[in-house]
Amino acid sequence: MSQTDTTDTAGTDTDATDSTATGGDQPLTTTAGESEEEIREEWTDYRFEGEPKLAVEDLNVWYGDDYALQSVSMDIPEKSVTALIGPSGCGKSTFLRCLNRMNDRIRAARIEGSVELDGREIYQDSADLVELRKRVGMVFQAPNPFPKSIRENVSYGPRKHGDIRTGLLARLTGRSDREQENELVERSLRQAALWSEVEDRLGDNALGLSGGQQQRLCIARCLAVDPEVILMDEPASALDPIATSKIEDLIEDLAEDYTVVVVTHNMQQAARISDQTAVFLTGGYLVEYDETDKIFENPESQRVEDYITGKFG
Amino acid sequence: MSRATAESALVRDETTGFESAAAGLVGLSGLLFALGLAALINVIAVTDPVAGVNVATVLGGLLCLGGLVVIGFGVGSRLGYLETAPQESAGIVAASTFTLVWSAIGGLVASQTIGLGPLWVVGALVCGAGAFALTALPREDVGSTVPAGAVAVLGGGAILTGVVGPNWEWMLDGYNATLFADIVIPSMVMFASLLTGWAAAKTYGGYGARGRHIGAYTLIYLVVLGILAVLLALIAFVVFKGVGPLLRGFSVGGQSLISWPFLTNGAGLLEDPKGIFPAIVGTVWLVVGAVAFAIPTGVGAAVFLSEYAEQGPFTRVVEIATNGLWSTPSIVFGLFGAAFLIPRFGNSKSIIAGQLTLGFMLLPLVLITSREAILAVPDEYRDASAALGVSKWQTIRSVVVPAAIPGITTGVILGVGRIAGETAPILLTTGGGVLPAKGSAPAVLSSFEVTPLSPPFVSNPALMEASSALPYQLYALITAGLGGDLPEGVEWGVALTLLLVVLSFYAIGIGTRYYFRRKLHQ
Repeated sequence: MSQTDTTDTAGTDTDATDSTATGGDQPLTTTAGESEEEIREEWTDYRFEGEPKLAVEDLNVWYGDDYALQSVSMDIPEKSVTALIGPSGCGKSTFLRCLNRMNDRIRAARIEGSVELDGREIYQDSADLVELRKRVGMVFQAPNPFPKSIRENVSYGPRKHGDIRTGLLARLTGRSDREQENELVERSLRQAALWSEVEDRLGDNALGLSGGQQQRLCIARCLAVDPEVILMDEPASALDPIATSKIEDLIEDLAEDYTVVVVTHNMQQAARISDQTAVFLTGGYLVEYDETDKIFENPESQRVEDYITGKFG
Repeated sequence: MSRATAESALVRDETTGFESAAAGLVGLSGLLFALGLAALINVIAVTDPVAGVNVATVLGGLLCLGGLVVIGFGVGSRLGYLETAPQESAGIVAASTFTLVWSAIGGLVASQTIGLGPLWVVGALVCGAGAFALTALPREDVGSTVPAGAVAVLGGGAILTGVVGPNWEWMLDGYNATLFADIVIPSMVMFASLLTGWAAAKTYGGYGARGRHIGAYTLIYLVVLGILAVLLALIAFVVFKGVGPLLRGFSVGGQSLISWPFLTNGAGLLEDPKGIFPAIVGTVWLVVGAVAFAIPTGVGAAVFLSEYAEQGPFTRVVEIATNGLWSTPSIVFGLFGAAFLIPRFGNSKSIIAGQLTLGFMLLPLVLITSREAILAVPDEYRDASAALGVSKWQTIRSVVVPAAIPGITTGVILGVGRIAGETAPILLTTGGGVLPAKGSAPAVLSSFEVTPLSPPFVSNPALMEASSALPYQLYALITAGLGGDLPEGVEWGVALTLLLVVLSFYAIGIGTRYYFRRKLHQ
C-alpha cells in the first residue's frame, strides 16, 4: 500500500532525528518514529445517512500558549459508537471535553469554533450549560462516585434538577417521589449492568464498591439524567480485563438508544466496540475519520497506519 | 573481628548473654528515668525511706551501677570480648553533645565543689575538651559509652557520697532563687539515665547502623514517655485536688435520684453546700452562642474564598489576615468587645456581648480549617457534578460541604477548647458576680419573650444580663482569695468542672466527626 503523498522519510521511521518537521517555523508536530505527511481534508470527510447528532466545525483549543486542538471538524452520527484514538497528548480528551463544554471549567483554556447539537450552536453566550450537560452526559477516566449511598449517587442528577422530590418538605406535604426514585435507580442500574450486584445494598456507600462497579455506577448515574449523548473519557483504562469487557458490552448496548463518543488508548477496544473511528495525532490534528473497519483495515494516511500497526505512539 | 561480626549479624538467631545484659540496662535506665520523673512531680520524695536508706541513696547507687556497666560494655567491646560492629567514631553530633554536657559539669564542679572561683572556666574547658577527645577519637564503642557512663558514675557518686544529699540546697548568685535537692536529684537522675539508656541501647544493637537506630529510638521513646507523663500528671493533679470539692454532698438515691450540690447549687446565703451552677450555665451558653455565630459565618466565608473568589492576591491577603487574627491575644478581642459591643447591647456587660466576642475569636480558626477542608475535597466530585448538569451552588451544598464536614468539625473542636477557657474577654464583656446565687443563673431558654407590638418581636432579657462563667469564677476565686464560708479547695473543684465541661464539648465534636466520617466512607 503506497501513499503518494508521503515524504521520503516514510518507511524508515525508526530514526529519531527525522522526527522534526521540515518547515523552519513549523511547530514540532510528530513524535519520535512518526513519519511526515500532509494531512488531507478528504480523509476526515466521513459521510453517513441522516442528520449529525453533533456537528463540529473548525474547533481550536489553546491551553495558555499551548495549541492543543487545531481546526478539527467532524460530524458524529446519532445512536452509534464513535471512538477517538491517538497517542498521548494528541488532543482527543480535549476534543471530548469540548462537546459538553467541560473545558470551560479550566481557566487557562481558550476555545474557538463551532459545535452544534441537533443543529443548535452550544458555543454561544445564551447556551444553558445545565441543560447542555443534562443532554450530553460524561463518564470520566477514573471512577468518581460521590461519597454517598449507591441510591443517592444514581438519583443525584434528577434530584438536583428537581425532577425527583425526596426532601423533607416533599415528604411532609405527601408529594414525595420515593416510588419514582426507586424505579429510576433500578432502571439506571439495570442499564449499566450493575443492578444484580448491588440490589440488596443500595444504601451502602458507593466508595465500598470495586473499581469496575464504581465505573458502572458512574455510567448509571449519567444515564439517570436521561442524556442523548454520552461522552466517555477512557472509561476502562483503570479497570481489569473482566471489568473492561463488561464496560465494553455495556457501551455496545447503549449505542442502541444513545449517541456514544468514547476516547480510548486501546486500539483493539476501539476496533471491537465502535462504528466509526477518528484518529488524532500529535499536535492536536484530526488526521483521519471514517468507518472503523476502514480505519483499521485500509487507512488512507501512512501515519495512521503506522500508529495502528504500533510503529509509534 | 568486626568483619566476622558483620557477617554473622545478618541473622540473629539467639540472644547472646551480653545482649540480655544490655537490654536489662536499658530497662534499668527506663526505671531510673521513671523514678526520677516520679520524684520530680512529688509522687515519691527523695527523703522517703526504702529498706533502711532513703530514695536518693537508692537512685544514686543504681545510677552509679548503670554507669559502670555501660563503661564495662564499651571497654569489653573494644577489647574484643563482645560481638559488635562499631564504626570508626561515635560521630560529631555525639561528640558535640558530650562536650557541652561535660563543660557544664566541669564548670560546676570547679566552681562549686572544688571552689576555684573564677578559674571555673579552666575546669569547663578542660572537661569539655577531654569529653570531645574521648568521644570523637576512639572507636564508636568506647566513644559513645565511656563519656555517658562517666556522667552517670559522677552523678550517682555525688548523690551517694552526700555531696548532693537529700538536704542539699544551693543559693544561686544574682537570682532570688534556691535550688533544692528534691528538684536537682531527680533531674540529675533523669538526665543521666537518658544517657545510659542511649548508650546501653546502642550496645544492645551492637553499635554501627543498627546500634544508632536502636539508640535513637530508645532516646526518643523515653523523652516522649516523659512528656506524656508530665501531661498526665497535670491532669491527675487537677483531678486529685478537685475531686473532693466536686463530690462534696454528692449522693445517689433519696428524694431526687442524684444529688450533686456542687454542680446544681449556687453560692447564695441559704444554699448549702455551695455550688457553681450559674457559672456552668454561663460557660455553656457562651460557647453555644459563639459556635452558633462562628460556624455559619466561618464556613460561608471559607466557601466563598475557596469556591468563588479567584485565587490571587486578595485570597492570600485574607489568608494572612485570618492567620493573624487567630494569633491575636484574647485580651485584644476582649477590649474590642468592651469598647464596641457593650455600648451597642444595653451599655452593660452581657452574655450576648461575650458570645459575640468569643465568636469573633473562634471565627478565624473555623475559617482556616474549613478552607483547608474544602480545598481538600477532590476536584473529581466537582467535575462529576458539573457533568451531570448540576449548578455550582447545588454542587457546593450537596457534595463539597458534606465531604468537608469532618475537617470543619475538627476546627470547631480545637477552637471550642480555646474559647471555653478564655478569661480575659469574659472579664471585660460578661463577668457577673464572683459567687452568684443559684437564682442568678442565666435562664436563656425560658426567657424568650414575644413582643408583638414592635420589631424584632422576640426579646431575651437573660441574654442581655451579666453572667458568671467558669474561667472567670476561677480567676475571681484565686485573685480575691476564698470568699465567705466557701469550703477549702473550691477553686480546684471549679478547675476540674471546667476541664469536664470542655471535655464534654470535645466529646460532642468528636462524636459528630465520627458520625460524618462513617457516613462518607462506609
